[in-house]
This record gives sequence, C-alpha cells and structure tokens, in this order.
Amino acid sequence: MTSALRLENVTKRYGQTVAVDGVSFEAEPGRLFGLLGPNGAGKTSTIRMVTYITTPDAGTITLGGEPVGPATQARMGYLPEERGLYRKLAVGEQLVYLARLKGMAEADAKAAVRRWLDRFDAGAWAGKKTEELSKGQQQKVQFISTVVHDPSLVILDEPFSGLDPINADLLVDVIGELREAGRTVLFASHRMESVEALCDDLCLMANGRVVLSGTLREVKRRFGRDTVSVAFDGDGGWLDPLAEAGAVRVLNRTEGLVTVRLGEATAPREVLQAALGGGVEIDRFEVHEPPLSDIFRQAVQGAGEQGRARTGAPATGAGAIDA
Amino acid sequence: MNKTLLIAKSEYLRRVRSKWFAVATLAVPLLAIGVFLLPMIAFSSGGGVDRVAIVDDAGLADALAEALQGRAAVEESDAPLDTLRARVLADELDGVLVLPAGLVEGDAEAEVRYLSRGGLDAGDGVRGAVREVVRRARAGAAGASPAALAAYESDVALRLVTVSESGDEADAAVGRFLLANVLSLLMYLAILVFGMMVMRGVIEEKANRIVEVIASSVRPFELMMGKVLGIGAVGLSQLLAWGALTFGLSLAAGPLLLAFVPEAAGDGGEAPFGPEAVGAIVDPGLLVAFVLFFLGGYLLYSSLFAAVGSAVDQESDAQSLQTVVILPIMIPLLFLSFVASDPDGGLGVFLSLFPLTSPILMVVRMAVTDVPVWQVALALALLAAAFVGMIALAARVYRVGILMYGKKPSLAELWRWVRTA
Repeated sequence: MTSALRLENVTKRYGQTVAVDGVSFEAEPGRLFGLLGPNGAGKTSTIRMVTYITTPDAGTITLGGEPVGPATQARMGYLPEERGLYRKLAVGEQLVYLARLKGMAEADAKAAVRRWLDRFDAGAWAGKKTEELSKGQQQKVQFISTVVHDPSLVILDEPFSGLDPINADLLVDVIGELREAGRTVLFASHRMESVEALCDDLCLMANGRVVLSGTLREVKRRFGRDTVSVAFDGDGGWLDPLAEAGAVRVLNRTEGLVTVRLGEATAPREVLQAALGGGVEIDRFEVHEPPLSDIFRQAVQGAGEQGRARTGAPATGAGAIDA
Repeated sequence: MNKTLLIAKSEYLRRVRSKWFAVATLAVPLLAIGVFLLPMIAFSSGGGVDRVAIVDDAGLADALAEALQGRAAVEESDAPLDTLRARVLADELDGVLVLPAGLVEGDAEAEVRYLSRGGLDAGDGVRGAVREVVRRARAGAAGASPAALAAYESDVALRLVTVSESGDEADAAVGRFLLANVLSLLMYLAILVFGMMVMRGVIEEKANRIVEVIASSVRPFELMMGKVLGIGAVGLSQLLAWGALTFGLSLAAGPLLLAFVPEAAGDGGEAPFGPEAVGAIVDPGLLVAFVLFFLGGYLLYSSLFAAVGSAVDQESDAQSLQTVVILPIMIPLLFLSFVASDPDGGLGVFLSLFPLTSPILMVVRMAVTDVPVWQVALALALLAAAFVGMIALAARVYRVGILMYGKKPSLAELWRWVRTA
C-alpha cells in the first residue's frame, strides 16, 4: 500500500464554479486506474491537486497514507495534457534538470536519463535541442521526463494523443512494465478506446462529480449484456424497421457491420431474425456488454439530468421560456 | 541542492552560454567608447573654413580678416547685395557681412547674412569677431591706449575646484555630471533589460506549457525566485564584464584619441581616459554603491515583471503591460538634471531615499556630491524592505497566474489573486 493514491471527498472551487465536487476514489499499485470524463469534467483540476500544484478546499488526498505535499511530489511523475519542454535546451541536459528538480542526485539522474533514452532508441538525440526534434520524438522525451525519477505514482493525461500507432504500442508496453513493477498508474482521458484496452479500474467524472466507478469488468457488467453486433455481407437495410421503431439504438453502422443497443423490450433474437429476413450472409452475431463510450454517454446524460433536477433548471424546449 | 538554487543555476548557465550574451558583452563597451570618441574626432577634423564676403564701409575689413583668421576666409567686395546673396545661394560663399559707415560710432547696424542650412552655429563666430573689432575701434576712438585695450581683453586665470570630504578636485564638476548621466543611464538600462528577461522567461514557460510540469516538482515561489536570482546573476556578470572591458578599452582609447586629436592631451601630455583621470572622478565607493543599488532595484522590478508575465499567455499580450511597468523606472530619469544640480535639496534627498527612484537617483547624488553614509544606508534598507514586500506580492500573483490561460485578467482580478492566494 505504499503507493496507493486515495482521494476522499475532495472539493475545489474556482470563484463561483465548483470544479471538483466531493470526489473520492482509490488507485492501487500494480493496477492501471482510468480517470475518464468529457472535457471540463474536472479531471485536470483533480490531477493538479494530486500533484500538489493546487490545494483542495475540502477533503484529503494521500499517497501511501501520507498527505500530498512537496515531499510526495518527488514520488510522482506527471505528464500533462498540454505538452511542453524548454525549446532551446538540449534533451539530455533538460531531462537531467527535470529529474534533479524531482530530487534526484546528479549522477543518478544522468544514469537514469541514459538508460531511458536507450530504451526508447533515442540515445542519439541527447545533445539535440528540443526544438530540433519532431513532435513524436518530443513526446517520447516528455514521457521520459515523467518516469526518469522512478516515481511510485505515474499520472498520464491523454498520453496517446498525437502518437502514431507504433509509438502508441511502445507506450502501451512501457505502461505495462510500470504496472508489473508495482507502480500506480493513473490515466486520464476522454477517449474510450484507449481506456478499454488498458484499464483495470475506472472512475467516470462529469461536472465535477464521480458518476461511475469500479473495476472495468464490474462497470460494464452493471449495464448488462444489452448490445448486439452483427457482421454481415449484403444490404444493411434489414435494420431500418427495428431502428425506426425505436426497438434498438444504433451505435455504429457501417457497410457490413452494425452495433446496436437493445431497447428495454427487445430480445437479441429479434435482431438476428431481422438480419436473416433481410437475406444477408451473416459472418458474426454477438451479444455483449455495451462499449465504454456508450456507457459513458449514458452516464453523463444521466448526471446532467440529475444536475438539472437539483438546481431546478428546465431541460430544453418550451419550458425554458417560462422559467 | 536546494531547488531554488538549482533553478537559478540552470537559468544562469542557459543564458550565459548563449551567443547573445557574448555579443552584448563585447558590443556595448565598444559602442559606448565609440559613441564618445567619434564625435570628438569628427568635431576636430570637420568644420572647415567659411568663405565670407565683406561689404565694408566702416574701414574694419583688415581688422576683421585678422580676427577671423583660421575660421573664415574673407574677401572684400563692392558688389551689390543681390549679387552677393545669389553667390551665397549658389554655394560660392558661406556668408555675407555688411559693415555700413557709422558702425563704429554706433549710428548704424552691421548685418551678417548666412545660409539657413548652416544651423545654429552659423555666423556666430563672425558675429563675435565683429563685436570684438568694433569695440576695439570704439575704445581706440574714445582714447584708450593699446596697453589699456590689451589689459581689457586679457585672459583671466580662474580654476573651478570642487570641495569634498575625500579631497578637493580641480575641474571635476563637469566630469562628475557626466558620470552621473552615464551611471544613471546604465542603471536604467540594466534594470530594464534584465527585468524584461525575467518577464520573457516567465511567459515562455507559460506559452510552451512546461510550467505545469515544473509546478508539479517545485513550489511556484521557488521557480520565481530561482529565475529572478539566476537572471540577476547574469546581470551582475554582464556588468562586471562590461566594467572590465570598458576599463581596458578606455586605456587603449586614450592613446587612440591622442593620435587623432593631439589637443586632447592633458597637462602632462598624458592620454585622456587614463587610469589617473578616471580614478579621480570614479570613486570605488561609488562603484560598490552602484552594484548594490542595481541589485536592489533589479530585485524590486524583476519580481514585478515576473508577476506581470504570469498574468499573460503570450509575448504579444505583454506589450501593453510592459508600458505600465516601464514607467516607474523612467520617472527617475526625468528628475536627473534636477537632482544633479540640487542634490542636497529636499526633493533630491527624498527621491534618493524613495525605493522606486533611489537606485538611479541616489547614485546620481553620490556622483555629484558627498552623501552622508547614513543616508545611503537608509536608502539601501528601504530598498531592501521594498523588494521583500514586492516579492511577496508578486509571488501571490505568480502562483495563480502561471496556471491560468485565456483572457487577460483585469487589475481587480489580479488584486483578488493577491488576497486569496
């Protein structure tokens, strides 16, 4: 438990806006924790409090039982969503400088930087100025700066944004290694695909509040197995009657593949029957949990409605004019 | 290593190793000496002799020719005024001098005509010569003997000696005034340049977003102070380098000037700007005070600049705020001549103690007069208190500002940051 991150009832206000409202969760070592939510949900505000860039107005944040402060900063690595490095400073020198700011001794920092640059096949760049590197290369450098001091908590805010598939794979490997080594990894994103494949635990935020949390499997299972995917060969028109009747909600519809969520009263075999009736060749028919993106959408909408009910504001439409 | 020092060291090395630093270190002393030397050389070799035509009905032409020797070449002429005027416009003459009869008796007025492009000076030399010659003629007509005339026109030996506690110096007043000007300009530039460097550094870190990573490793105050101290060290290094280079160059400049302008040699034939001459005007105590006031003024203004820089996102936004912060540094310059000519007056003393103006004006006072040590100490103490206060204030704005992006905060918002940070 030495590197478990725990937030309890954390609240942060900026003027009139409550950016983070009573947020609680726990990220454990050796596991990947996904902090999800749309832009403006409060993820970055929360992360800033974890890294002690700002302090909460209420609630506590502890790392391994110790309240966060200047001492814990040295044990955390933070990759912010908006990347940035000193442009005119050489890569090697910059990495050593950043490592030393985290409390590493000079010799240790130099050795660690060399090791990480080699790991990323970037040894040749050590003497180059940051502005001479390509964007992908800069991101690798920035990632190294996040982990070079061997932090027990690694916080990555949208780490995959802008990475090509090859570098994304490399990043996934490295994250996996961190996890194996018993580090706590906190991963913030609004892009579901990256999360689904990686996270062990997740927490979904919207409007500053926690809307969903639990392990990935638990969360998905909570929503039941109400999604059907059909891969087929032929005209996709067979789906129209079902869709128009509102029996299913179309999540994805491309040539040869549809994914729908079943309505309350719709059984999976109705979709199968419709497809068979359409005379198409069926390659695959699967009933499964809804994709995270849709769970996300549903949860956020639900939270929005709850929020409106609380403040008494009208939803949309005619009612709004009278309010 | 303490984090503030780590940051300061990085800021220092980054700038001192840049090409900019090397260029500035060399260029400024060269420019300064050049700016001094070139006009002196140009002035002595330039000029040339004016061609003046005299229409003489007063019988003074010969005397005038003698009086104007070396400054104007004189030709007598009977030509009508219009012809002569045309010749001036055609650049065959530089001027026309009309001496009517009755001039000596005081019944008529002499006239000097010069081309307008001659500037303020044009015709002055001729005017002075005419006056001299006419007066001599009148004195002669009134019965004065040549001996009496000679006595009247003789030179009077008078030396201006400045009395001060460190000893009396002859002919020092002008030198000291010059020194006051040079030092105050240097102080103004140094505080401005290095203060702006702090501001630009803060904005750069915001614009390229690295500030967030750094804020997750150190306290914002440590970042701000590291920057201020590091750049302050660059400033000191630069000043010391300039001082050494200027001193070295001026040792060479003296003989160089001598080669062009032999008249510039001192009484003993030694080169100007020599170590003795410089030492007579510039007192080591003054230099030490200069450095101390630079440090105090820099700390005061750079923390202000850091706060300003943290309130904007990009360099372009900073332009408008820049003018606001430059004003307090410029105001002392406006009072420069006033304080230099009345250094011990009430206003002079006040301005040399008030922290916003003391870096420049106390140094000015010290250059032109003896300032009691307790006043210098008081000024330094007040300056220290002021910059400590300013740093505390600026840190609060900085802490909030570095993480804020988007619209520029109003002054009211800035004040709120100070109160709640």
